[in-house]
Amino acid sequence: MSGEVLQMPFELRDHTADVAVAATGDDLAGVFAAVADGLAAAMCEEIPDSDGDGNIERFSLSVAAESREALLYDYLAELIYERDVRIVLPVDNEATIRRPTTVDQSEPAASERIEAGPIESESTDDGSTNGGSAADRWLLDASARGVALSSIDAREVKAVTYSEMALERTPDGWHAYVVFDV
Amino acid sequence: MSTYDANGITLQQVREHVWEIPQDGEMGAPARVLASEALLDEISDDRTLQQLKNATQLPGVQEHALCMPDGHQGYGFPVGGVAGIDAENGCISPGAVGFDVNCGVRMVRTNLAYGDVEGHERELVNELFDAIPSGLGGGGVVETDVATVEDVLDRGTDWALEEGYATREDLTHCEDEGQREEADADAVSQKAKDRGKNQLGSLGSGNHFLEVQRVTDVFRPEVADAYGLAENQVVVLIHCGSRGLGHQVCTDYVRRIEEAHPDLLDRLPDKDLAAAPAGSDLAEEYYRAMGAAINYAWVNRQLITHRTRKAFEDVFDAEPKDLGMELLYDVAHNIAKKEVHDVDGEDRELYVHRKGATRAFPAGRPEVPKAYRDVGQPVIIPGSMGAGSYVLRGGDASLDRTFGSTAHGAGRTMSRTQAKQDFWGEDVRDDLEGQQVYVKAQSGATIAEEAPGVYKDVDEVIRISEALGIGDPVARTFPVCNIKG
Repeated sequence: MSGEVLQMPFELRDHTADVAVAATGDDLAGVFAAVADGLAAAMCEEIPDSDGDGNIERFSLSVAAESREALLYDYLAELIYERDVRIVLPVDNEATIRRPTTVDQSEPAASERIEAGPIESESTDDGSTNGGSAADRWLLDASARGVALSSIDAREVKAVTYSEMALERTPDGWHAYVVFDV
Repeated sequence: MSTYDANGITLQQVREHVWEIPQDGEMGAPARVLASEALLDEISDDRTLQQLKNATQLPGVQEHALCMPDGHQGYGFPVGGVAGIDAENGCISPGAVGFDVNCGVRMVRTNLAYGDVEGHERELVNELFDAIPSGLGGGGVVETDVATVEDVLDRGTDWALEEGYATREDLTHCEDEGQREEADADAVSQKAKDRGKNQLGSLGSGNHFLEVQRVTDVFRPEVADAYGLAENQVVVLIHCGSRGLGHQVCTDYVRRIEEAHPDLLDRLPDKDLAAAPAGSDLAEEYYRAMGAAINYAWVNRQLITHRTRKAFEDVFDAEPKDLGMELLYDVAHNIAKKEVHDVDGEDRELYVHRKGATRAFPAGRPEVPKAYRDVGQPVIIPGSMGAGSYVLRGGDASLDRTFGSTAHGAGRTMSRTQAKQDFWGEDVRDDLEGQQVYVKAQSGATIAEEAPGVYKDVDEVIRISEALGIGDPVARTFPVCNIKG
């Protein structure tokens, strides 16, 4: 899968009972947002430019995790959670990522669109981000446009999985592959 | 006996329809696939066999990890997978249960004959579709607060009984009487409860559905009689799970276990096999949270049953009790439970993980409801919209061969993305209507994704189950009306 060329930032891929998203981005935050847009596409084929009332409303979220892969998992899980409690489909996703201050800051970061440390706050939502100090964790700030579920023809994705998850650098940026449970 | 090679994995046939992957390398036990060669061709077409091999690396797997005849690739642990894991020295794995905790099926009997329903199909499918929330963001029969969700999590269908959504007989005809004793709402995160507030009593989407069916065949009249089934009778099958609450419970514990037990995770080949060591605080906490999500799923199906009874009352102008709308049985197919099984001649307590597999206890086992203890536990196997479903009874050989388990459905052979390319929802619906099957869904894409052609041959799955003595067919049903998300 590494280095493949996608026609769009993401593509939906076959999986026996579920659905997979392959995505690319110029940087780490870009590929995260592209997977999130792929998640939305897996639930809805025709996403309108505004919600049912013609409004465009965005919401924000933040997650922290101990590794890049865990951050991607928690980000996508958070979007699914927000979908259910806000009763909207999160689309047009945007993200920024901060790396842990304990990571060698001299490591090339040009392709990560990362604001180097220090991390001032950590998500304390129960159940997903326990343990570790703030300095050890990757932090993501994201936003999405919420499209009212009542205004679209959408189907449920249950959860993000780690199965076959790939998150890797390519000569052109980053590539990700994520399987979602349907 | 012959061998079968697929994707670099060699299986040895140990008896008819039983194929073994011998223990080698990192495997912690042998693995077995229960299938005909035709089904094995389909099972080996994706990563199912590798995932089954991986599952043997969970600490404490007893005898062998198993794949049922309808197995297919999942995430971490295959769908159709069964593992009996030592409850004292082994582990418990949320990924080997599945995100949709207590996804399961129930069947409700009626005293209507097919002829009573003919001519009312459109009215019935519309009434059911309007009465029962489905799809994404479709709400629930009960939209409530966190305190009520916690009551549901702790008490299961006992809450539904108190609130007037269930009868006493509903409880006695449900696995575990619709209530897990170890369930603890405090082990369930606030996020899960937030998701559960507005989805209590809803089908969701994907492969979940409610179907009015007619009994087309009876194979074991004495057992069918005990189950209250007869040819031409109308029944209702409900297939759904614990909704967003259960999905969040699994997500939460996969991540908590990943962070708390990295040493164990490092020894496993797939992060979605993340497991908490037996006896650890997290193992106990997950077991209590899973029990609570199990309770939520039972209440979810109970509320849908309540609305189904009301819909029938409106269409047929008769009280549900006068229509004989009694619960035949409700059984989970995504679950892990502490059960005592014979291992090498000794009774041992195991966490029996069934992910896309159904408990199938034979006659005499104390967990089987009193009404069915002499004939064996009902096993409800939903099929596709075009092929019908089955009611089995737990087979005499199930305890020896599968820790008391059998299949859970037809099992998919085609991806959802491929299905939408190969089928058009409106065409599928029209074809089914030509067979007198009336389908109504929130989304045409859902009908395409669930087209009969995307599933394995359910008849073959049942044939293997019977041949191995793990589940004996009692009756076959065929759809009349189907609603889905």
